[in-house]
Amino acid sequence: MKNLDSLFAAYLIGWGIFFVYYLTVARRTSALKTEIERLKNSQHRSS
Amino acid sequence: MSVLSNTTALLGKELRTEFRSRELLTTTIVFILIVLVLFSFTFDPTAGESRRFGPGLLWLAFLFAASLMLQPCFLRELNNDTLSALRLSVSDPFAIFLAKLTANTIFLLLTELLLLPIFAILYNIPIAAVFGQLVLVFFLGSLGVATAGTALSAISAQARMRELMLPLLLLPLLTPVLVASTEVTIGLLDRQPFVQWKGVGFLAVFDIVFLTALWIFGEYLLEE
Amino acid sequence: MWRRLIGGLAVLALVGAAAYASFYIAPEERTMGLVQRIFYLHAACGLTMFTGFFICFCSNIAYVFWRNPKSDALAVSAAEVGLVFSTVNLVTGPIWAHPAWGIWWTWDARLTSAFVLWLLYIAYLLLRTLVEEPERRALLSALFGIFAFLDVPLVYGSIRWWRTQHPQPVLMGGAGSGLEPTMLKVFFFSILAMHALMVLLLVDRYGLEKMRGEAEIVRRELEAA
Repeated sequence: MKNLDSLFAAYLIGWGIFFVYYLTVARRTSALKTEIERLKNSQHRSS
Repeated sequence: MSVLSNTTALLGKELRTEFRSRELLTTTIVFILIVLVLFSFTFDPTAGESRRFGPGLLWLAFLFAASLMLQPCFLRELNNDTLSALRLSVSDPFAIFLAKLTANTIFLLLTELLLLPIFAILYNIPIAAVFGQLVLVFFLGSLGVATAGTALSAISAQARMRELMLPLLLLPLLTPVLVASTEVTIGLLDRQPFVQWKGVGFLAVFDIVFLTALWIFGEYLLEE
Repeated sequence: MWRRLIGGLAVLALVGAAAYASFYIAPEERTMGLVQRIFYLHAACGLTMFTGFFICFCSNIAYVFWRNPKSDALAVSAAEVGLVFSTVNLVTGPIWAHPAWGIWWTWDARLTSAFVLWLLYIAYLLLRTLVEEPERRALLSALFGIFAFLDVPLVYGSIRWWRTQHPQPVLMGGAGSGLEPTMLKVFFFSILAMHALMVLLLVDRYGLEKMRGEAEIVRRELEAA
């Protein structure tokens, strides 16, 4: 059924976009956390 | 009023600078000519098609030209380090914007009025009967383009890749001007010409909105 | 940590419930059949996009006048999240339109304005990547954001007045006009669910942005030492 395919596709792609965005934010956040840790460590080492 | 006198003084400077070299005007005119010629290759310029598509293409050409022409507006000041001097010379920073946008409107209008007869000849559309009304719509449209363009030029001048940045910021913003101006121009160039006052009013509203926004936020655009 | 988990689950439940309502509770539309149910996702995203951009607009004004870095963080977060909803809106539109009316795209007022809006906020984010200094970046993008949002009603108005004269498929009238009561309820529920999702994404993105500010401070302290 063509209509069901489109309905399915729309919701799948829509949620997919939200999910991908959520993942990118989570990934950037964890990468930044590691970066801050690294910076704080080098700060403690130098002081 | 000191804003008015500041504006007039600065406007004189802007006009004098440009008319001494005329490089901005000449390059803009040549650019629009090139675009007009190139456009003619993209469709079959019969009488009916020209009347329908011509005005839109003309306005599109003006928008492209404006997004290039407005770049030196603040870039020149930044490169020559004259922006702080400019800011000190006026009591109200809005005078700087008013002067620049008036100058830009005049430059745009000049190029448009010069190219209008050429466009009419190239695409076989008579304009003599409605020339006055055309001047009105071109004035209101150019004012909108110049207002938004001058403001955005101050922003893009402070960013990297500024040559690409200004068209990117400006062109989506100017879609209302493009739509309204095209529609009014189509009406004026129709076989039975008529003035779409709704469009004229809309352009006026656009101009007022952005002039007001520039008046409120202009000083922050020029912050050190 | 627990708050985040519970919040996330709640949002997921809401979105799931909205989808269930869209598929099973809402009655089938007479002419378009199944595919019309995309409307609940598509239109709800459209409205949520506006909320996001409105939050961005308010944060922009707040930043220009009070210069709080938190306003800038909220502004960019709201713009990004709004852009995500805008993307979903623009993608689901053609997927609905093609089986329903046989065309992928129609230049009607709502869709076209949505597209221009999408371009404007892409430009907003692009501008931010091209200005190095944080305070300048915040100020310039705030000012552009203000101009962009002021343009929105003008974009919509101009396209509605002059471009919708051409033959167009009637897209559900106005949202809510002539919508059957159950459909309306499902629609409002979808809007609620989408807004909840927006808040969730906004909170996460805002946290990321605040962390960036923190990293910047530590970096500066290191350089000064």
